[in-house]
Amino acid sequence: MFFNKFNIWFLSSFLVSLLVIIPILTVSISFFEETSQYFDILKKTFLFEYIFNSISLLIGVLVLTFFLGTGSAYIVSFYKFPGANFFKWALILSFAIPPYIYAYSLFAFFENYGTAFTILKSLFGDGNYNKHIPKFDGMFGLILSISFSLFAYVYILARSSFVYQSQSLIDLGKNMGFSKFKCFYSIILPAARPAIVAGLSLVAMETLAEFGAVDFFSVNTLTTGIYDAWISFDDLAFANRVSFFLLIFIFVLFLTENLSRKKAKYHLDVKGGFKQKERIKLKGTKSFAAFSFCFVLFFLSFLFPLCQMLYWTLKFPENFMDINALDLFLNTIYLVLLSSLVLITFALISNYGNRVSKNKTLALLSTFSISGYAIPGVILAVAFITFIAWFDENIIQYLGFNSIKKIFIGSILGLVLVYFVRFYSLAFNGIKSGYEKINIAVDESAYLLGYSKRKTFMKIHIPYLRNSLLFVVILISLEIVRELPVTLILRPFNFETFATTAYISASEDLLEAAAVPSLFLIIMAATFIMITSKYILRVGDE
Amino acid sequence: MNKNYFEVRNVDFCVGGKTKVKNVSFSIKNEGDVVCLLGPSGIGKTTILRTIAGLEKINNGSISINDKVISSKKNHLEPESRNISLAFQENSLFPHYNVEKNILIGTEKKNKKRKKINPKEVIKLLNLKKILHKYPHQISAGEAQRSSLARSLVSNPDLLLLDEPLSNVDQSFKEEIQVNLKKLLSKFKITTIIVTHDSYEAFYLGGKCGIILNGQLKQFDDPYNVYHFPNSVDVVNFLNRGILIPAKVTGENSLESKDLGLIKGNFIKHYPNGSDVQLLLQPEDLEHDDQSNLKLEVVDRKFRGTNFIYTLKTVSNLLIPVFVHSHHIHQHEVDEKFGIKRPINIDHIVCF
Repeated sequence: MFFNKFNIWFLSSFLVSLLVIIPILTVSISFFEETSQYFDILKKTFLFEYIFNSISLLIGVLVLTFFLGTGSAYIVSFYKFPGANFFKWALILSFAIPPYIYAYSLFAFFENYGTAFTILKSLFGDGNYNKHIPKFDGMFGLILSISFSLFAYVYILARSSFVYQSQSLIDLGKNMGFSKFKCFYSIILPAARPAIVAGLSLVAMETLAEFGAVDFFSVNTLTTGIYDAWISFDDLAFANRVSFFLLIFIFVLFLTENLSRKKAKYHLDVKGGFKQKERIKLKGTKSFAAFSFCFVLFFLSFLFPLCQMLYWTLKFPENFMDINALDLFLNTIYLVLLSSLVLITFALISNYGNRVSKNKTLALLSTFSISGYAIPGVILAVAFITFIAWFDENIIQYLGFNSIKKIFIGSILGLVLVYFVRFYSLAFNGIKSGYEKINIAVDESAYLLGYSKRKTFMKIHIPYLRNSLLFVVILISLEIVRELPVTLILRPFNFETFATTAYISASEDLLEAAAVPSLFLIIMAATFIMITSKYILRVGDE
Repeated sequence: MNKNYFEVRNVDFCVGGKTKVKNVSFSIKNEGDVVCLLGPSGIGKTTILRTIAGLEKINNGSISINDKVISSKKNHLEPESRNISLAFQENSLFPHYNVEKNILIGTEKKNKKRKKINPKEVIKLLNLKKILHKYPHQISAGEAQRSSLARSLVSNPDLLLLDEPLSNVDQSFKEEIQVNLKKLLSKFKITTIIVTHDSYEAFYLGGKCGIILNGQLKQFDDPYNVYHFPNSVDVVNFLNRGILIPAKVTGENSLESKDLGLIKGNFIKHYPNGSDVQLLLQPEDLEHDDQSNLKLEVVDRKFRGTNFIYTLKTVSNLLIPVFVHSHHIHQHEVDEKFGIKRPINIDHIVCF
């Protein structure tokens, strides 16, 4: 049976999935390798702190993003108030601010003699304001930065679930004499639970993978532990061992998210008896309260870091001259285009291979292969280097060829390969959701009308998937523009993007200099979001 | 030796490694003949069509068309090379093309051996003119089904396979489409296999009918024979043609039933005198007669437009259906007595 299905599509699809799985296998296998004595030192000293901090951060971020995401989604989905339609999409602009840029803004605004101090001074004259200005750094600052940057995951999924909840459900609650609050927590919230859990799982994965903000606030987590193990101790096996802990952690979250999505199919059947919901028009103080909540959230999550970066850019225009914005822009676009091309091509092949082969082994392999998104960029980069080093030493040099390390490490090729692994799930799932809308009978009809598999792919699938492909390209672009750790570790010498330039300036305590690349990054990301907002807001309703 | 245009010989039809219909053999004698396959849902009718189309493979037997084997254990001609068209039951229109483009795609497939079919004629007869510029998501399931049917027809195939082609079409419209479809198939001599669970559709459209039950092709015959001379109890039950009552053969042309007395008629099969048989009693076999001394109790009455179907209880508690024209002078209520004309005469007696 396995070999019956063996064809070129199956083979290509199999190879693509295998390529994506390599880093995960590398980390898992490396766990059993010898490490230096640093691992023993770490076990006795910081390992507990790493785990404790990671868990504390996770809990803090999950609680905050739950309230921000679910609350805002509830308000814009159930009520009409001035600006409701604007906030519906404006709240997703927070995606344009990576947690590390939020962290720079938060720190810069509240630091001694920072922006808050300047504002107070210009309003009220000289004074000792520093001691009254709260300081948002360390764990608290980190939780705020990540939460404001990532709450939109929960917002988007919860909103799509709320919007497509049938009015009949709510009418039923009213009919049973439930108060508005009881209606919310006993009917609306449980029905949206799978969507909210899915959103929170994405937040959890991103939080555990976060590197830039964690590093900036000097909070030791498992992710920074991996980076330190590799950079400070030069111990790849040790880095892999820490990665393995994080991988297990993430794997559990990944399973939770998958199970939750499966349940969603049962809970959110809107095909039968669906009654479109009427949004309730708010008046007076209630309307003002709803507007204020959304505005404050929009302000804090997007306008505040944007204004902070804009303020610095204008205040220190010389920084603008110091960076070569055009070069950084072209580098970023180069990576975006190259990676998108590679990702789209291979994800298309893999999806089509799965579709025509109908092979269970391949389907399982594909499921694993999309787990790359759940693995922190730092782990992927380290795993990639480990694999190339092993392959070079044991295969290439054994066969008497020249070392291939330089081709893959510190090169665009290596960088694009790791982006490929990291963002493969975005491309694969984006195309898959497009494919799910094409009935398999459509393919079979094409064959029966004399179309070959290739012609069916080119003439039927590609034109139909055009919108899905565009959406995927924009999503990949958004991720690559914001991506930091992989680019930082694997980029070629003297090759910078907006993200790496901002990080390097910030790590050298030159926050003002980080503002210009950060501002460009925000503008680029916000543009991508605005182009795709109508698709993003449709998540879950198909 | 008589050559058949299309032939299925000893094939097990399987899907996903599971055998759905075993050891099937049937043939279509001439080009342009129409065959209908009848059977309950999920029995494997669609699997048979998919296999003939080349979408599923076979492990035994053979399928051939025009003397060319297209499926066997060793040979499998890919669907795109078969020149067989299948109109799926579900919506299989290309989602990014409008209805017109979807239909015209069918004409891209060139079949030099056959006379060309004018798409305009098909569009007109299947009443698709109004929706030509609509996209698949903008039309109803019935319209999608007719569009898909049109696309298959204009592709001018050597063999056309229709899977429940009118299952989603409105009842009021169905008859008109059936008439037009029959006209088209006949005019362009398109050899067709239609799968349906509507026996009247099958009897109208098909020159031959196959009954698939319990994983087997139970009967393959003219519609008249399938209807009047079912070859097994399973076929009787499936077609819901009547009930089986116990009787004893008393002569060359007679039987005796404990419940109904003497029954006369022509046996379609010989049974020795004195044999115990199960007699197939169909609703039209019994005649109402108020003057008769054979009275049965009415337990139910169904109004079916042109007639009533009375369900009568016999002394052995058997429930017998009887047709009575709805213009009959009076109606009988439940629990009343209902007279049956004696002696009972049945044109052809079917026993098991």
